[in-house]
Amino acid sequence: MKAYLTSCLEKARADYIEIRYEEIRVVEIHYVGKELEAIGESSEKGGAIRAKIKGGWSFVSFNDIDKLKYYLRLAVDEASLIKKGKIKLAPVPPLDRKVSIQVQKDPRQISLEEKYLLCSRYNQILLSSKQIQTSDLKYADVRIIKYFLNSDGTYIEQERIDTVLGMTAIARRGDNIQSAREGIGGVGGYELVEGREKEAEKAVRRAEDLLDAEPATGGRYTVIVDPKLSGVFAHEAFGHLSEADFLYENRRMQKIMRLGRVFGSSRLNIIDEPKIKGEGGYYLYDDEGVEAQKTYLIKEGKLVGRLHSRETAARMGEHPTGNARAISYEYPPIVRMSNTYIAPGNKSLEEMIAEVEEGIYAKGFRGGQTNLEMFTFSPEEGYLIQKGKLGKKLRDLNLTGNIFTTLSNIEDIGNDLVFFTGPGGCGKGAQSPLPVSTGGPHLKIRDVVVGGR
Amino acid sequence: MEKILEMASSRAEEAELYRVRSQTKEVGFQADKLKSVESAFEDGVGLRVIKNQRIGFSSLTDLSDPQDLINSALESAKFGQEARFNLPHPGRIPSPQCYNSQVISLKTHQMVEEGERTIELILKEAPNFKCEGGAEKTEIEVMIMNSRGLSFSFKKTTYALSFYAFLAKEGDFLGVQEGEASSKYEDWSSSVARRITEAIRLSRKKSKINPGRYPAIFTPRAVPLLLQSLKIGINGKTVQKKASPLLDKLGTRIVSPCINITDDPLFSFGLATAPLDGEGIPSRRTQIIKEGVLKNFIYDLQTAGLMETESTANGARGYDSLPSPSTSNFILTAGDVSFKEMVKDIKEGIIVDQVIGSGQSNTLMGEFSVNLDLGYKVEKGRIVGRLKDIMVSGNAYTMFNQVATLGSELRWIGATRTPGIYFKEINVAG
Repeated sequence: MKAYLTSCLEKARADYIEIRYEEIRVVEIHYVGKELEAIGESSEKGGAIRAKIKGGWSFVSFNDIDKLKYYLRLAVDEASLIKKGKIKLAPVPPLDRKVSIQVQKDPRQISLEEKYLLCSRYNQILLSSKQIQTSDLKYADVRIIKYFLNSDGTYIEQERIDTVLGMTAIARRGDNIQSAREGIGGVGGYELVEGREKEAEKAVRRAEDLLDAEPATGGRYTVIVDPKLSGVFAHEAFGHLSEADFLYENRRMQKIMRLGRVFGSSRLNIIDEPKIKGEGGYYLYDDEGVEAQKTYLIKEGKLVGRLHSRETAARMGEHPTGNARAISYEYPPIVRMSNTYIAPGNKSLEEMIAEVEEGIYAKGFRGGQTNLEMFTFSPEEGYLIQKGKLGKKLRDLNLTGNIFTTLSNIEDIGNDLVFFTGPGGCGKGAQSPLPVSTGGPHLKIRDVVVGGR
Repeated sequence: MEKILEMASSRAEEAELYRVRSQTKEVGFQADKLKSVESAFEDGVGLRVIKNQRIGFSSLTDLSDPQDLINSALESAKFGQEARFNLPHPGRIPSPQCYNSQVISLKTHQMVEEGERTIELILKEAPNFKCEGGAEKTEIEVMIMNSRGLSFSFKKTTYALSFYAFLAKEGDFLGVQEGEASSKYEDWSSSVARRITEAIRLSRKKSKINPGRYPAIFTPRAVPLLLQSLKIGINGKTVQKKASPLLDKLGTRIVSPCINITDDPLFSFGLATAPLDGEGIPSRRTQIIKEGVLKNFIYDLQTAGLMETESTANGARGYDSLPSPSTSNFILTAGDVSFKEMVKDIKEGIIVDQVIGSGQSNTLMGEFSVNLDLGYKVEKGRIVGRLKDIMVSGNAYTMFNQVATLGSELRWIGATRTPGIYFKEINVAG
């Protein structure tokens, strides 16, 4: 592959040009209720070219690699349509790397029948209770080989295996329908999804319990969020704002996001770190061929860094951080997070709850979104806290806040740190889902707006 | 293709090939300037087989190895669901308009000019804003053939223009997203720019609202937030799994009598317009709601088979997946009240236009609870300013039962055609 890509690239004339090629094999099993909605193996091969001339980029994606030379010519032609300006890329050392992945149990060595039996067993657990109406179970193992070559002399071949399992139990009583989900897995082999009967049982129990929960009453509350939510909080409430492509061409945003600005208490640290083995956002080299690195976004409450591609780093006079990622060959790399987390503090959950006069303990997560100023995230369930004690169970809560004030409203940081990944991931622009992990400790935040009845 | 189908047919009871080839051209603008030109050439094939009465499926992009595709599909059929349908024979296939030669002949520089015009119009009104967005055109060729003699292909085009204007002020961000998309070409530069500048103008003044219950106008752009629950509820799959809150409601009134909805894959130049669905069933209209009464659920072949009914031609798919029921063009009818008149009717209330956090609540049950990204306060029949830092929440089914009036102007939002809707009540927290 290296020789073929190199020979094609040699003839292309541009300021900068790169070729990516991916070979993907996916095994997927999908149960909804008793029925197996999908099972089997598929393959996909495709590539992309990105070329830069003066002030513009071109991007060409394709499935047919035999036409690579034609696509390269097209990429050069289209890049030259944009004559105004000049794009600079931050220099990075040229690399020649071949990365293979070691997993305990290679999913390719496991028969489809064995995977089917495992999923059937979990699905039976999901459906085992009378109150459960239906289930949704998705298993996938994905093997990708990514080839990367650019005109700066970098060649990287990376192998990646993801094994993930999502299990949702859906309970129903009359018109009341409630669901609970467990997401498992990340970068790694079949071992990640074996022996997960307990998680299936947990999803069932939580869905059933939610039938008896009461809808939350809207208002402002002191909220304690569990690690699942605090991870999403790190991701939505701050992570996206740290992506330099939102800043690099907008002077007003740069002023607002100036380094050194105080966002929270001196106990607050938010970090993006791709090289955490086993997590969904794990990688060694990004899709621009830049080595991944640990980046502090907030250190002791102050803004100290941001996530960069080579272009955003050059424009802002900062160092590239290896955060240019694409969800697949069909898309150009853009600035993305990897494994983003809030570092632990020293409070125990019990202490935090005991100190709340009236508030909500929010657990589990269904999703989150931001518009760079406001964010929302939705827990799966909650508990009312009254006079330092957990009370009745709540459902249908959705939390929202202002990024710039909420971080400084974090009153306590827990002593636990848990990461979450599993199927799904982050969406930005047209690119979704990108595998990421989020993590954090329990957090106590004052003045959070809770939407409800 | 014929060869692969033949090979697969000889080893299974039934076989079907579904191929999607597409070419996309996109011009992208960032910080008010042309930044990128993108092209995509996609080609993929899916093979569905029925072997020993079980469904098998596989897909690939590299047609040089069809044996791999066939083996994978047959392996999948060892475990797949029991088939409750037969693949369709060739039937009478309609020819709705979904291909437009103007899209094909549209040059890259014309798309660039259209983008530049949009930005110029926005910046003329709102010079402090930064614009990003672009224009995109696609040509898709779909081919379907099966072992019962169906062999059909059709071409489809799409064209879209969308822009996002953004202004960051300390403590006060404003971002307005607008776009238009269709199966045919139209110059949307002025309409997209006008919608964006109108929103910016209405947002100049800030307003506040106390928590409570208020009447609310949903602009056409905000209506899909409520429709998503309904779309899940009428999906044959949700019904078959007995998870739909509409399970036993066929023939009963589920929403206000002014609501009429049709699923219409034949609508000229809709984004979801096509002569047949993803498994070769000729496209047809399906009345979903008539005068508030639930008339039909939507089905693909297998789900219909399980429910002992017929496919409604709603088997949607990509080359890389089995068909599954999904709405096509989702068409609501208009009312007779203009937007201005709706606003005039409100003493104190809100307008919901753009939200964040959609789909994160118990959508199946109709619940929603979202941050108002872009919305306005209405006082004494006038829009007085932008509202932010609030959550609006409610239940889509309850709200559709409390429709005050339907707007008179219809607008396409993706493949949904809807008027603005004035609801009697929404919950505001903040």
